[in-house]
Amino acid sequence: MKNEAIKELLYKMADDQLVLGHRNSEWNGLGPILEEDIAFSSMAQDKIGQSLEFYSILNEMGEKDPDTIAFTRKADKFKCCQYVEHPIGEYDFSLVRHFFFDYADYHRFELLKNSKVERIAMAAKKFQSESKYHIMHANAWMKQLGNSDVSIERMQNCLNEGIALALGIFEPSPMENVLIEEGVFEGEKKLSERWLSSIQSILSKTELSMPDISTAPINGGRQGKHTPHLQPLLDEMSEVFSIDPEAEW
Amino acid sequence: MESLDPRVGRLGIPENWGTLEPKSNLDQLETFEVFSIMKENKPFTHVGIVHAPDEEMALVFAKEQYGRRDSTLAMCIANSSNVLVSPFTDNNQNLYDFLEPSKALEDSVSEYQVFHLYKRGKQHQHVGEAEGKGYEDALNRAKEQYDGSKPVLNIWLIKSEHLLSTDEEDAQIWATTPEKKFREATDYRAADKIKRFKQEKA
Repeated sequence: MKNEAIKELLYKMADDQLVLGHRNSEWNGLGPILEEDIAFSSMAQDKIGQSLEFYSILNEMGEKDPDTIAFTRKADKFKCCQYVEHPIGEYDFSLVRHFFFDYADYHRFELLKNSKVERIAMAAKKFQSESKYHIMHANAWMKQLGNSDVSIERMQNCLNEGIALALGIFEPSPMENVLIEEGVFEGEKKLSERWLSSIQSILSKTELSMPDISTAPINGGRQGKHTPHLQPLLDEMSEVFSIDPEAEW
Repeated sequence: MESLDPRVGRLGIPENWGTLEPKSNLDQLETFEVFSIMKENKPFTHVGIVHAPDEEMALVFAKEQYGRRDSTLAMCIANSSNVLVSPFTDNNQNLYDFLEPSKALEDSVSEYQVFHLYKRGKQHQHVGEAEGKGYEDALNRAKEQYDGSKPVLNIWLIKSEHLLSTDEEDAQIWATTPEKKFREATDYRAADKIKRFKQEKA
C-alpha cells in the first residue's frame, strides 16, 4: 500500500515535469529576446532532468526503465495535471503557467525535503535549488509585465483563465492519506496553502489582482483524464524513440 | 497575426506610400555588464553583457546566460551607462602613472567599485572599493590603495549603488550547475560509439 502510494506520487510529479518541460522547450528559438530564450530553455531542461530522476526512482522500485516509461505510455496512463499539457499559447499564457506551476513545484520540493523516504528527500533538496531560480525568474517577469500599462490586461486575463487549471495541480490523490501518515509527503492541501500565500505575495507587488480562488479546480489529470492536447505532444516527443525502441543512444 | 518574417512580408508595399520617412531607432533594450565570481576567494570578473529592461531582469538573465555552464558562486550587474571607463594604455604602461590630481571635487563623497584590466584580451576584475568626491578623486584614492606591481591597462569605476548583486541567501541557485555536463557537446561521446559500432561491423 505504501509503495503504491509512493509510486503514484512519483508518477504525477515526473509526468508534470516531463510534459511541461517538453511544452516549455517549444519556445526554444522563439523567445522574445535571446537572453530569455536561453533562460526559459534552460529551465525546461531542468524539468526534463527532474522527471528523469523521478522515473529512475520508480525504476528502482520495480517499474520499467525511464525511457520506456516516458516514451511508450499512452495519454490515459499519464498522471500529469491538465495545466501542463495545454499548448504554449502566447508568451503571456506560458509565463503565467510558469509562475503558477513553478511556485507549486518550489513548495512541493520544500515539503519533500523532509520526506521519510530518503531517496525522495535528496532529490527534492537538489531540485529545490533549481526551482529557486525558476521562481526568481517568474517573479521578475510578473513584476515587469504586471506593472506596465501595455501588459497588465493580458496578464490579468491569463491569471483569471489559468486559475482553475492551476488549482488542478493540487488534485488530491486517492492514496494521499497513506503518504501523510507515513511521513512521505504532507499532502496537496498543505501544499496549496503555501502556494497561495506566495502567489498573493508576488501579485501584491504588481497592479494585478488575485484571480478568484473559489473557482472550481479543473481536475482529472491525476486520474489519467486529459485534454486532447496531450496525446499529440506524446506522439511528437516519442517520434524518434519509436522508430527503434531498442536503439542505444 | 501578420508574419514578422521579412521573407514573407517584404513585398507588402503600401498603396500611396508617397513621402520618404527617416529610419527609426532600433527598440533595443539597455545593456548591463555582468561580473561573476567563479571560485572561492576569487574576485568578481567581467564575463559579458546582457540586454534587459531593468536591473532585476538583467540579473535573472545573467544567471542563465553566463552561469549555466561554468561553476559560479555569485554574480552582479551594472547598467553599462553607469560604468566609467578610463583610456587604454599601451602594453606595459601603467595607467596610474598618467593620473593627474583631481581638479573638480564634488561636494559629497561617493563609494566606487574599482575594476582593473591587466592584459589585453582578458577581462576586467574587481580589486576593491574607493571613496572619493567624484570619480577623479576616487581614481586617486584607488591609486593609493591598488597600484601594485602589475601595470594596469584600463580601469572601470562603478558607483557601489549602481551594482546589483545576487543574495547570499539565494546561493543555492548555483548548486547543480556542476552536474549539468549534459549541456556540453563534449559530454556526448559520439566518437566512441561510432568506433565501437564500426568494430562490431568489421
